[in-house]
Amino acid sequence: MAPWMSSGLIYASGLALTAGSITLLYIVTRTFNFAVASMATIGFYVVYTGVTLFGGLPYQYYPFVLIIGAITGVICYYGLNRPLLYRKAAETTLMMSTLGYDLILLSLIQMYADFLTYNFKLFPRRVTMSLFDFELFGERAAAFILPVIAIGFLMILHFFLTKTKFGIAMRATIENPTLAGASGINSDRVYLVSWIISGGMASLGGAFMVMAMTGTPVMGMYTIPLMFAGAILGGLGNIYGGILGGMVIGLTEYAGVYLLAQQFGPWVLGYRMGIPLFIMAATLLVFPRGLSGIPLGKIIKNLFAGQKRGASV
Amino acid sequence: MLTVKNLNSGYGKLQVLYDLNIDVPEKGLTVIVGPNGAGKTTLLCSIMNIANVFSGEILFAGEPLTGVITHKLAQKGISYVPQMGNVFAELTVLDNLHMAGYMLSKSEVNDKSEQMTEIFPVLKKFIHRLAGTLSGGERRMLAIAMGLMKNPKLMLLDELSTDLAPIIAERVMVEVARMRDELGITILMVEQMAKRALEIGDTAYLLVSGEVRYSGKADSLLHEPKLCSMYLGIKQASGKDGAFELSVSDEGSENS
Repeated sequence: MAPWMSSGLIYASGLALTAGSITLLYIVTRTFNFAVASMATIGFYVVYTGVTLFGGLPYQYYPFVLIIGAITGVICYYGLNRPLLYRKAAETTLMMSTLGYDLILLSLIQMYADFLTYNFKLFPRRVTMSLFDFELFGERAAAFILPVIAIGFLMILHFFLTKTKFGIAMRATIENPTLAGASGINSDRVYLVSWIISGGMASLGGAFMVMAMTGTPVMGMYTIPLMFAGAILGGLGNIYGGILGGMVIGLTEYAGVYLLAQQFGPWVLGYRMGIPLFIMAATLLVFPRGLSGIPLGKIIKNLFAGQKRGASV
Repeated sequence: MLTVKNLNSGYGKLQVLYDLNIDVPEKGLTVIVGPNGAGKTTLLCSIMNIANVFSGEILFAGEPLTGVITHKLAQKGISYVPQMGNVFAELTVLDNLHMAGYMLSKSEVNDKSEQMTEIFPVLKKFIHRLAGTLSGGERRMLAIAMGLMKNPKLMLLDELSTDLAPIIAERVMVEVARMRDELGITILMVEQMAKRALEIGDTAYLLVSGEVRYSGKADSLLHEPKLCSMYLGIKQASGKDGAFELSVSDEGSENS
């Protein structure tokens, strides 16, 4: 594996989940969730607490990450989002309310970090989580395990949205909330489930990302521009597009920095965030609807038609 | 079955309906006609708690509906077929039918879906196709089938004939009359194709600028030359024997 690839895959898998989380909430509730930053950080602290206090591998704490992430989502929905949705609040209001929630969560995270320091003599403000990982085929195991978990999560989500009654009802509500309500679908329940899934995805994404970066109480705030970049690159209207966008942003950050640093020197590292953001801007200039707006079917069809024409000539 | 008393409603701060009184008799077809912007769709949206009701009462079988959440209205047996966006374009025809019967049990949904494909054979042909790929007429048939999935006591139909070719619109009207006659469903229909709607309807209300200008028998409204020409675009001329002959102006949905 190329040096950038293992870290890139780990980081991109996490970013894909957080970008998917942002997209899911936006298409269901029209809310740009800034709290995804602290939700991701909470994911890191759940795993950190597990491995330092109870031992074992980071992976075995992922179910707890999902549960606690989902709980933070439920609190945000009932405490802020639901009352505002019922008052038909504007998108800006919905967005700013999640920023407020993010600041509350950030304060709680700081308090929790202090709690771990004073009571357990730990150093939770600068953590290298990869030290808790093991090796597989000469690489960090996370480079294999996390993409598989991310793809597995995506497949379960796809099955839920396309094969279950409630999942199809969610898609119906996303497409046409008025008709869904008139059909007897309880949109309140749909919004709640989307916050549960989204909260779980954000926290799991944070738990993934920290396997490739330093874990700090502000790691979510540091990476949130890239989480949003992934969602925007994905087109914001399609959850699979958001996940793909996050994956592309994560991989290009690592690959871009590695390749450019080899060419121009290590000073490039200071501009690492600029590379994926530049790629996002360039992609949107060509495909304004993002990755999910790329007419892949048409392109493939044209390619095959071109090949056939070439063969007949 | 449905009674609207002194209804004042609209969207946000904008009032659209003023002191509206409407009575929808059981197992009848009540038609709401009127020019654009009269508040016809707002009336249906007020019943479905989509528009804001400022004051007044909406009673369904004697039970107040004001403030009841939309999805609970469906559970009470009220089915709403909106004018636009009346199918889930990104779901298959079968999924659309299943979503329309969301509150029914699995076996009931399967039975009803089967029944709907028998009533509307065109749906059977496209059962696994995305609803967004259907033609306008097929979509309207699917929308009606979705409305019927819930075994409704009352159906609210909003301008079913909009954007349809006259021949397809006529088929839709025939289906509406059939729902009343064969299935015994109470129907409140808002319609721009006024002449045809008044021909098949039992009771009619003419809405102008959010107020009722006529209420009574549907076919009697066709014999109100002033109202017909002023608000519905239906011109009337005396026939040889003195009886009225109806024609529709260029602004109407039919051409004479």
